[in-house]
Amino acid sequence: MSATEAAPRVETPTIGVGRIGPVWMLVPALVLLIGFFVLPYLSIITMSLREASTRAVYGEGFTLAHYATALGDPFIWRILGRTLLMGAIVTVVTLLLGYPVAYHLANSRSRWTSLLYIFVLSPLLVGLVVRTFAWMIILSNNGVANKALMAMGLVVFPLQLMNNSLGVTIALTHVFLPFVILPLLGNLQAISPDLAMASRSLGNSRMRTFLKVTLPLSLPGIQAGSILVFVLSISAYVTPAMLGGTGGRTMSVLVVQYLVDNFRWPAGAALAIIMAIVALIVVGLYLKLTARAMRRLP
Amino acid sequence: MRGAGGVEKTIWDRLFLVLVAAIYIFLMFPIVLVVLLSFNSGEFLAFPLEGFSLRWFEALFSNTRFLEATSYSLRIAAISMIVNGVIGTLAAIYVARHAGNNRDRIRLVMTSPLLVPEILTAIALLFYFYEIGIGTDYSIGIQLGHIVVTFPYVFLNVSSALFNFDRSQEEAARSLGAGGWMTFRRVTLPAIKPGIITGCLFAFVISFDIFNISLLLKSLGRNTLPLELFDYLRFNFDPTAAAIASLSIFLTFAAILIIDRTVGLRSLRF
Repeated sequence: MSATEAAPRVETPTIGVGRIGPVWMLVPALVLLIGFFVLPYLSIITMSLREASTRAVYGEGFTLAHYATALGDPFIWRILGRTLLMGAIVTVVTLLLGYPVAYHLANSRSRWTSLLYIFVLSPLLVGLVVRTFAWMIILSNNGVANKALMAMGLVVFPLQLMNNSLGVTIALTHVFLPFVILPLLGNLQAISPDLAMASRSLGNSRMRTFLKVTLPLSLPGIQAGSILVFVLSISAYVTPAMLGGTGGRTMSVLVVQYLVDNFRWPAGAALAIIMAIVALIVVGLYLKLTARAMRRLP
Repeated sequence: MRGAGGVEKTIWDRLFLVLVAAIYIFLMFPIVLVVLLSFNSGEFLAFPLEGFSLRWFEALFSNTRFLEATSYSLRIAAISMIVNGVIGTLAAIYVARHAGNNRDRIRLVMTSPLLVPEILTAIALLFYFYEIGIGTDYSIGIQLGHIVVTFPYVFLNVSSALFNFDRSQEEAARSLGAGGWMTFRRVTLPAIKPGIITGCLFAFVISFDIFNISLLLKSLGRNTLPLELFDYLRFNFDPTAAAIASLSIFLTFAAILIIDRTVGLRSLRF
């Protein structure tokens, strides 16, 4: 876009002052985000390199010891492995449950569509503590799920559904399901219905049309949604803290325990960074793999 | 398949609908459950329901800790909403109209708090506030944390309103002699108002709900509502907790209703 000073018509209508671009409009946001977002992230790095201290939350000098200690501790590796495994399971299950919903919403012409949309959206806007609390009511030993199973005669004694990885996985699946539905929905709605119609008119069955046309075209939505859910679930704190007990403890829970209960800030910072790096590696590998799959598309 | 193909299709259709309906129920069931149990007169958080009662809400409203936590949460959410309503809108207008080649880069910075886990941001801010001397003795730390985390919601929603707005209207106003400010106030602002409202409500609800930022940045003895509920559930497991949860659910649905009435839910941006 080129706007010359002497242009007779207003080619780039500006708001506020001048034509150069009123940078002041951006300044408050930049101050906020640089001052209270970018710089703080740097202090996680510096904190992880500080020495521990018995008198304060961190000491004077700098050291790499916290990384060495953490990486040499099989307990940390076990928690990290459990966190990643849980994240992977939640991602796969949310995809399997979210895809049909997104597909249904994208193709729905019913007047109930907006109500269904609220069904998808509202869990997202209800706080995590509230949603996890709901799952405690369902999954506890005397909870709704066990009562129902016992009433149906399927089990005699209550199942242990809480204070372990299983409970956390179930609740996280619910908590993050909307995050996979919404990107997929946007993706599916953007696919022209003509394509599916063309495939059908060429004699392909619905199933084949779905597998050969719709599904490949929705890969970007699958990719976006699954990365979002994976990152959210491996970093989730509230749900594992409330539902996990010790058996379902994840990296986030461990880090907060280091920071809040044990006042071991540098060691906690090192753990947080290890977690972030591992997450970046996993997401990077996933992006590479899915990019290869998507390149095969016509 | 052969001749029966048509019949088979409808069977699959029905199966698909049953599956989808089950997932919708899965999505809503926990929330409905909490609301039901908060109005139940029974002593326990369990079925069968024993009858309608407001006693747990009475218990909630006679508990000063919960009332204080609620008003603290409302205050933090309101300040986050107002601050972001102003600076998020300004930033969105700048990026949409003046950023030029830097648009994508600035947009990435503006949405970055959404791209990283909230718990990491909370940890980062905890260390940072301690290092620069703000600490967590006052509300300023927790408040800044809430503003940072909810900023992208206003920015994104206003940006999307600006994107959908037909700029020829601005040109028309300008060619009729309206100045920059006049054009903004009479043409642009009314057109993007729904985006601003949505973004602000969103920021409010998210701020009211978030937990990790508050957990790490709260000052001693001052709990937000989610923190208070979390603490309460460590030692209690009774319908009063359901009443608190319901309260926050009602707030969310009020916001959803307003958004639906003003701009329609589909325009929401995450």
